[in-house]
Amino acid sequence: MGGNNSWKSFGANSQDDTNLRRALNPHHTEDSTGSSNCMERNNIPGAEASQKEMEMPRSMNFQLYPLLSLPHRPRVGSKFSPTPSTSLLPCLTAVCRISSDVHTSIPLPLPRPPLPEAAYIHLPFCRRRCHYCDFPIVALGSSSHRLDDDPRISTYIRFLLHEISAAKAPSSLHPPIRTVYFGGGTPSLVPPRLVRSVLEAIRAKFGELAADAEVSMEMDPGTFDARRLDEMVGVVGVNRVSLGVQAFQEELLQACGRAHGRGEVDEAIELVAGCRGIESWSLDLISSLPHLTEEMWEESLRLAVSARPQHVSIYDLQVEQGTKFAKLYTPGEFPLPTESQSAYFYKMASEKLSKAGYEHYEISSYCKPGHECQHNQTYWQNRPFYGFGLGSASFINGVRFSRPRRLKEYEQYVKKLEMKTTAEEDDDVAIVDAKETAMDMVMLSMRTARGLDLKWFESFFGEAMKLSLCRAWRPYIDSGHIVAMDEEKRVVATCDFELEMAGGGQRRRWEVAFLRLSDPEGFLMSNELIAISFGVLSP
Amino acid sequence: MGALYGAARAARSRLRPFLSESRAIVPILHKIGGERSFCSHSRQNSREGAVDLGQFPPERIRNFSIIAHVDHGKSTLADRLLELTGTIKKGHGQPQYLDKLQVERERGITVKAQTATMFYRYGIKEDDAMENLSNYLLNLIDTPGHVDFSYEVSRSLAACQGVLLVVDAAQGVQAQTVANFYLAFESNLTIIPVINKIDQPTADPVRVKAQIKSLFDLDPADALLTSAKTGQGLEHVLPAVIDRIPSPPGKCDSPLRMLLLDSYYDEYKGVICHVAVVDGALRKGDKIASSATDHVYEVLDVGIMHPELTPTGVLFTGQVGYVISGMRSTKEARVGDTLYQAKSTVVPLPGFKPAKHMVFSGLYPADGSDFDALNHAIDRLTCNDAGVSVSKETSTALGMGFRYGLSVPQEYGAKVISTVPTVPYMFEYADGSKVQVQNPAALTSNPGKRVTACYEPSVIATIIFPSEYVGPVITLCSERRGEPLEYSFIDCQRVLMKYRLPLREIVVDFYNELKSITSGYASFDYEDAEYQQSDLVKLDILLNGQPVDAMATIVHNLKAQRVGRELVEKLKKFIDRQMFEITIQAAIGSKVIARETISPLRKNVLAKCYGGDVTRKRKLLEKQKEGKKRMKRVGSVDIPQEAFSELLKVSKD
Repeated sequence: MGGNNSWKSFGANSQDDTNLRRALNPHHTEDSTGSSNCMERNNIPGAEASQKEMEMPRSMNFQLYPLLSLPHRPRVGSKFSPTPSTSLLPCLTAVCRISSDVHTSIPLPLPRPPLPEAAYIHLPFCRRRCHYCDFPIVALGSSSHRLDDDPRISTYIRFLLHEISAAKAPSSLHPPIRTVYFGGGTPSLVPPRLVRSVLEAIRAKFGELAADAEVSMEMDPGTFDARRLDEMVGVVGVNRVSLGVQAFQEELLQACGRAHGRGEVDEAIELVAGCRGIESWSLDLISSLPHLTEEMWEESLRLAVSARPQHVSIYDLQVEQGTKFAKLYTPGEFPLPTESQSAYFYKMASEKLSKAGYEHYEISSYCKPGHECQHNQTYWQNRPFYGFGLGSASFINGVRFSRPRRLKEYEQYVKKLEMKTTAEEDDDVAIVDAKETAMDMVMLSMRTARGLDLKWFESFFGEAMKLSLCRAWRPYIDSGHIVAMDEEKRVVATCDFELEMAGGGQRRRWEVAFLRLSDPEGFLMSNELIAISFGVLSP
Repeated sequence: MGALYGAARAARSRLRPFLSESRAIVPILHKIGGERSFCSHSRQNSREGAVDLGQFPPERIRNFSIIAHVDHGKSTLADRLLELTGTIKKGHGQPQYLDKLQVERERGITVKAQTATMFYRYGIKEDDAMENLSNYLLNLIDTPGHVDFSYEVSRSLAACQGVLLVVDAAQGVQAQTVANFYLAFESNLTIIPVINKIDQPTADPVRVKAQIKSLFDLDPADALLTSAKTGQGLEHVLPAVIDRIPSPPGKCDSPLRMLLLDSYYDEYKGVICHVAVVDGALRKGDKIASSATDHVYEVLDVGIMHPELTPTGVLFTGQVGYVISGMRSTKEARVGDTLYQAKSTVVPLPGFKPAKHMVFSGLYPADGSDFDALNHAIDRLTCNDAGVSVSKETSTALGMGFRYGLSVPQEYGAKVISTVPTVPYMFEYADGSKVQVQNPAALTSNPGKRVTACYEPSVIATIIFPSEYVGPVITLCSERRGEPLEYSFIDCQRVLMKYRLPLREIVVDFYNELKSITSGYASFDYEDAEYQQSDLVKLDILLNGQPVDAMATIVHNLKAQRVGRELVEKLKKFIDRQMFEITIQAAIGSKVIARETISPLRKNVLAKCYGGDVTRKRKLLEKQKEGKKRMKRVGSVDIPQEAFSELLKVSKD
């Protein structure tokens, strides 16, 4: 059976075996009882389901979904204890359809994918909707000053708490949550005591957070003062802030409908940068806003660097359907920058921030060494995560699920969730499509500076698939859009790459270990390049 | 061109042998056949012998065709004659025939000549008004309407001794009338002019008679005036056939010689050959041999097309019918072959020269994975017509495909990319070597030796049109590198012009253009003429310096610049911006004559990718991938399929 074979291939040597165990349960320690034990642990959540999965017809559908398990980079100056950096191996699971004609029983050891160690919590409240925004938000209006007692917020939080407590996860054996991300909306609008209650619910459900857990919150200038920030840090436990500056120019802030001005921006930066409990903060900007000039962009980048954040996110404006911008503007046409202008802005950012000591570690993310956003890394490494709240997405047991985006429907969803008994919940064994998994893996990894680990890719999809992928990308290695690297991340010359591809069938040592998009040209063309790989993965 | 084929098909569709629904016909046969001898051997052939062909010696047989310009009423006239002789039931014909056509089209059968046998009782007046009624056997051998199929026409005429030359009483003589007349005239056939559609209000038989006299030197008094629609004058047609057309000239007592006229493949019966017995007789059970292949076959079934296959067990001298002999493929049935009694020795009949295909197209599946399906479809096509020329070829741009002679089969529709039709050119080099080129891509762009001469096939075109359009027609013909040969008035309003034109110049869009500049009044026909010397060059299209084989063309040197420019501009419109700058060049050898560039995409990136965004992003990129799938890739350049078909439109030279 496919599941068995794949299983064996990963346990081929003891090092791999250890890695696998580690991947299955990153909190496994070397003196723990070994793989069978860890499997048991991982099987517990769906005990009944596992029983069913034991009795499967021959025709069932085995599919792999690899989950990247990358080393957590030790953070500079944090109490973070680094896990061994060798655990690059993916986890493996077989998700199968339980068909009605169960005649043959094939006992199979089916490891479950690891349980999520990341939780996203959506706090949808905003004063008003920005002109570019298509997120699930709730606009409260700017008139009410006493937001802390707004019943809309407290009602929502109540549902959120119910949702968390209705989640199926055994609190006693759950690995500690390592990242919590409060996204929005504008989470900083929610009173700290309410945010704290949400975090309490998380603890009640999944146990105490990891000692070095990253707790991020998106905050907007003008929505908090020193006291509130202190509360968020001291009372709630937020240790990372993502500050939605978006622009440093009054006219741009106005044009995109932000509820704050330049004054609030400077004030907020001062507060966040000077806050003791914040180990790492991100300054978020939007590039290619309408009427943006080269001078403005240069100014924004300069001011961003001088604010000395550990992290900078630069989101290229996407004109999304249904937004005010979509009604007003056409991409590439005035007052939006032309395609080549906005490409130039992207290159400027990459250049200026790199010069200032930031690593361009993902298409729109820059950080000082060791300050990657751990929570986002979960997404980009295809690891599982919980999602709670309006419109939020989760990725559990290989299944991606998005909650309703409308408040009423979300509330219904939570009510239903609470009525479900534990037995019912286990029915939702989903089919994970191998092609989709491969596409997710390639798409997500190629958007990061680390790129695609070819050995790892080959271990799931075979050498032939790896070679086809390389062949499809071959012209872009020539053109400099894709960079081939060896194990040590040294660039491999194009001609060597060619040789290796030609000798792919023979027993040759494959020196190329990683492929990544070049910065900035490859990143700028990421859609094209990834779409080309999709043609190979899912012809 | 497509319009031409279409019209030709539609016009000549109604006279096929019909394989089913034959029962209704049998009683009529009995009546006409007179004596009945039941000599059937098997239940299967229980109707065999229903017709005693023995009572039809050559002098009671007439073999004839109807030739006409498209829409001059050939098919209707044929239907009326079949009805008149009871061969088909009145009013039952048409819909069945059309249905049949549809089916046959779907089966991929190309335009082919068909035949129907009729029986007619007629008395030749002897000395003293003493009428002596006799049964006659009349074979109406159908011809394709258009001279694109002149090979087929002459094939049909080879079994005839005379023709009915049908001319529309209102439209008068048209280009195809002229072409068909000459084919019949050169075959020494008796020509009976039939001025049809005399019931029309605009009919002007007097004028048509004058045209017949001036153009063909036929006696206007011999012309029959008919209306196939109303039946007026039809009673004179078959008597004229019997009175004027000589009976077939064969010798009854000589060993069997028969001419293989045509063949097609029937799913149930296998290969069915149409034959004309020239000498001797053919009987069921005979062993027959082919002069072309020396293969020997046993005659399993023999009979006439009445119009369905009607077994008779025998065919005598001068008769036309079908033979089923266990041939496995129509490739064994060489059209024009002489079949004879296996043990005898005979001098083969002259036969026909093999069909020479003069227009070729590359044919590729739009989706490479559909090659097998296309291959299968083409197999079926060739199975039914040994004359179709098809060879496999491979294009770097389009993958595996075919080089296809004659017309492009429209049946496969949008799923097929067909390249610009081309004609076989001849190139002579300084070292004395000669190359014939059917596919421009096969011609080396830099052969390393000097071309001393090039030749291209030409045609003699006949164009008839109202005289007010003389100017535009002359302009068109000279744009197409035509050489005027003849210019005459066929009457006070209509002009006949003959031009020698390079075949290449008429294969794409000539007829459409001619129609449009003459408000649809021009008629056009052509016959193949010899190769003529010409100043030809190969025009390559290069994308980022790499030639796209499927886009290479051979053009006249003087037109190369213009054609190159047009092609390059067209391509620029149809190729999307890609990651690199794309240069599109038209080049003759190493000389670039036209150039365009497509600036590269600057940016194609989706910035934010948070948790809930993964699936949405993947789907978006999958869509982008699907877009790429419809592209053909040359080097690093993606070419949309539409670009290939657009090139077809531009390259009217």
